[in-house]
Amino acid sequence: MASATRSRDTPLAVLVLPSLLIFVSFAVVPLFGVIALSFTKWDGIGAILPNGLGSWQQVLADPQTWASLWLTIITMTVTWAIQTPLSILLGTFLAGHQRYRGLLGVFYFLPLLLSSAAIAIAFKSLFDPNFGLGAGLHIPLLSQDWLGVQLAFPVVLSVIAWQFIPFHTLLYQGGVRQIPVQLYEASQIDGANRFQQFFHITLPQLKYTIITSSTLMLVGSLTYFDLVFVMTAGGPGNATRILPLDMYIRGFRANQMGAASVIAVFLVVLGLGIALGVQRLGGRDKTASQLEGL
Amino acid sequence: MTHLSAFSRRGFLAAGAGIAAVSVVGCSSSTATGTGSGAAPGKASMWGLSGQPNEKILTDCVTAFNTMGKGTVDVTFFQNDAYKQKIRTAVGAGEAPTLIYGWGGGILKGYADAGQVLDLTDWIKTQSAWKAKFFDSPWGAGTSNGKIFGVPTNNTQPIVMYYNKKLFDQVGASLPTTWDDVMKLVGTFNSKGIAPFSLGGGSNWTSMMWLEYLFDRIGGPDVFSNIYAGKKDSWGDASALKAYKMVQDLVDANGFIKGFMSVTADSNADLALLYTGKAAMMLHGGWAYGAIKAAQPDFVKTDLEFGGFPSVPGGTGDAKNIVGNPANYWSISAKASEAEQAVAKSWLLDGMFTDTVIDAFISSGGVPVVKAAESKIANSENKAFLSFIYNLATSAPNFQQSWDQALGATQAEALLNNISQLFSKQIGPDQFATNMNATL
Amino acid sequence: MTDVKQASTKKIKSVRDTGSRGVGKPNFLAGFFGWFWLAVVIIPIYYVVVTSLKNQGDYFTGNPLALPIPPTFEPYQEVFANKFGTYFTNSVIVAVGAVIPIVLFAFMAAYGIVRGNGRFLKFSNGLFLMGLAIPIQATIVPIYLMITKLGLYDTLPAIILPAIAFGQPLSILIIANFIRDVPKELFESMRLDGLNDWQIMWRLAFPLTSPALVTVAIYQGLNAWNGFLFPLILTQSPDKRTMPLGLWAFQGEYTVNIPAVLAAVIVSTVPILVLYVVGRRQLLSGLTAGVGK
Repeated sequence: MASATRSRDTPLAVLVLPSLLIFVSFAVVPLFGVIALSFTKWDGIGAILPNGLGSWQQVLADPQTWASLWLTIITMTVTWAIQTPLSILLGTFLAGHQRYRGLLGVFYFLPLLLSSAAIAIAFKSLFDPNFGLGAGLHIPLLSQDWLGVQLAFPVVLSVIAWQFIPFHTLLYQGGVRQIPVQLYEASQIDGANRFQQFFHITLPQLKYTIITSSTLMLVGSLTYFDLVFVMTAGGPGNATRILPLDMYIRGFRANQMGAASVIAVFLVVLGLGIALGVQRLGGRDKTASQLEGL
Repeated sequence: MTHLSAFSRRGFLAAGAGIAAVSVVGCSSSTATGTGSGAAPGKASMWGLSGQPNEKILTDCVTAFNTMGKGTVDVTFFQNDAYKQKIRTAVGAGEAPTLIYGWGGGILKGYADAGQVLDLTDWIKTQSAWKAKFFDSPWGAGTSNGKIFGVPTNNTQPIVMYYNKKLFDQVGASLPTTWDDVMKLVGTFNSKGIAPFSLGGGSNWTSMMWLEYLFDRIGGPDVFSNIYAGKKDSWGDASALKAYKMVQDLVDANGFIKGFMSVTADSNADLALLYTGKAAMMLHGGWAYGAIKAAQPDFVKTDLEFGGFPSVPGGTGDAKNIVGNPANYWSISAKASEAEQAVAKSWLLDGMFTDTVIDAFISSGGVPVVKAAESKIANSENKAFLSFIYNLATSAPNFQQSWDQALGATQAEALLNNISQLFSKQIGPDQFATNMNATL
Repeated sequence: MTDVKQASTKKIKSVRDTGSRGVGKPNFLAGFFGWFWLAVVIIPIYYVVVTSLKNQGDYFTGNPLALPIPPTFEPYQEVFANKFGTYFTNSVIVAVGAVIPIVLFAFMAAYGIVRGNGRFLKFSNGLFLMGLAIPIQATIVPIYLMITKLGLYDTLPAIILPAIAFGQPLSILIIANFIRDVPKELFESMRLDGLNDWQIMWRLAFPLTSPALVTVAIYQGLNAWNGFLFPLILTQSPDKRTMPLGLWAFQGEYTVNIPAVLAAVIVSTVPILVLYVVGRRQLLSGLTAGVGK
């Protein structure tokens, strides 16, 4: 009996090996690599020198680190606060089966087709203070210095919203479509109007979707790099220097790989923390997934 | 160390699995790492900056060299800001091109200290006739610890003022000679709806040029020399603080075109603002003349004026001092194979400054760093500008190298970052000084 | 459970007749909001398309939102003269080169995890679940170091290998969920027929889980296609660039020529657009990667 089970185990365990090998090599080992590198000093072209807590002290003492962390926290909260309600509303809207809504849906999902680089470039042109849409239309209100110091950050957050609301709308659309109609019919008999139905039926039923979407949103906005890099490269000044950009700038522009690795460790810890935290809040199992900046 | 060998073993297995699954592997041949062939002259790789006119000049130069039978040079072009980051990553990966382009100074020193570029001193000693063809002064920025790591090339590039004469005539103003003139002009142009200065603030090194000149005009070359020597609190020198304030006053007076922080110099967007008549003045390097000429030759013929940086009332700096790039530099990667290095040296000797190339530089509006240029300038259609540059470069008591090249990479990054914040008014003069002093 | 699902889908179908979720009047507020959002989505896209068909001079002088009359393909010519064919090929190689191993490895691993037991498999499963929360950008510096030591710098495998690695956790999760839904009896009956696990895996599980495999393929394929940070750091030659990187480099060089830049944006999007037109539902369900379950 025992030998029969064991002989069934060995071949099955072998099946996991290719996946495990490549995952360990290129995901787990770099993870430890990041931790190890954070205790070194390396300029990218010379030797890697052990540095004890030197890089840690440098990064923790640098006000930019905290400024970047603060920007990242704002990114996460504002992203969630804007994208979630809008996505829920749009998802609910699209879950209805009227023909025209289906047609609108085809267009709503177009932003999903564009890569982050494409979106960043398109909006960068659109917002150019001298050659963009506002300047070309000669409308003063639209000719602000959109990517200047004051407005760059809100503008970037808005573009991120433009990019990702369609995705979350899709999730919520699926979620709403799974709500049994009997609930609505029963409430109608009780005399409920549309708003009451929304708040007392739709939202509670969407709990699981909200948790999934929120996890994706929060972890995704923590690590978001592509669009911000192409649009503003962290600038002007440090106006859009969120943590992933801070990591890139420290490592590949200021040539301080040790310091960049410290920031990377922050990202990992925060990411893990958020993923675990939200899942625990929701009390559900592990279907959290990593959206690597679609 | 064992850590590294452990994962490279596993990594090799993984790589094997990955490669087996991917049938097409395109290995670049332009950055060959030492698989040099035997007798036939080999190949060398080179990275240059994109943008006219130098891109064409270099392309033609390399094409001509490749027909000489002394080897083949393969050139790839990158735009300026991307180049500065990519070359670093390439050197760190051991995949640098054979011929590395740069601006000398602290960045080159960093490569030299890490053993990434060849010490050319002894080789150059055997080539004294060739060395004598160059200007004497630029060799300094290519030298580190008494050893030569970079060979001067391209043009000498002081930073100068460019003016759109048509706009000046339109408002009835004359070219500025002092800082007070400048501030008056700012008011005049703004009242007529013309942006006073074009500036590619998004590139930061363009904003840096303003500080370089103001430091010098207010307090002379010592202000920066102290910083370069690492003297404590030198960024907080009285002259320096005055310079920071003057720059912010200029920003407050709307001296720079609207949205200047979003304009980058990479694709010459800032030049476009001058020659399309959106801005009246611009502070830029000598290379801008050639770029404007390539984009809009008529503008250069009729509407372009140029001049030195104005003096600052009460300042102690000599108004003949200049800042900029004494030259560009080619270094040879220490990681390249012998064959590749040999081809690179051949190119430096025989391909880089042929008569054709020198003529090309001059007709594009630059002063190449060779003594032969002097006589050719007199016959060029760009005579006015070129003699202006030539005189500036040869009679300047002091030629300060661009700060972001003179300083090392970490300091340079901090400098550019703080300049960005200074010009966008996120920080004030005192904060700038404090931040930069911390890097000393 | 399946019965209830069928019942509710039947009910939803009948709701379609009334034209809304049970309330008689049309919802004006929702309608207005819907059209407003359409404008928000469409105007930038319209701007991009329209500008890509103008030449640079006209763009600077005319109204940005006006239709180009007549349209010109000059910007597109500029784009194709600039190696976009190469960028496209590279992106295809990266996408296919990543997706095939991802799907194969993840499928085998998922099968092993679901059908097997024992500490090793449980440990592997736990490791993959933790892997879901690793932010890929954080590992760029060590991966740069590894790739250069392996001699893979500036090659396409440099991008493909990390993509395969980071694609494992989610893919295994989705496929495992699917395999769990396959009734145990089917496995037992095949085992009774004398087939071993390997044969069962390919002859039974593989065809049955193909919807999940397609979902995973689409999701990971799109990720690989749109990846930016890793190609940025790990490649340098222009002929190794993938589409997003090519787009960025092109924009850096041609900033002022906005029609050409926006034409490049369109060119980089066309392949995905074609997929969207051909298989919209598949694509959208692939994008959400079974997360809605």
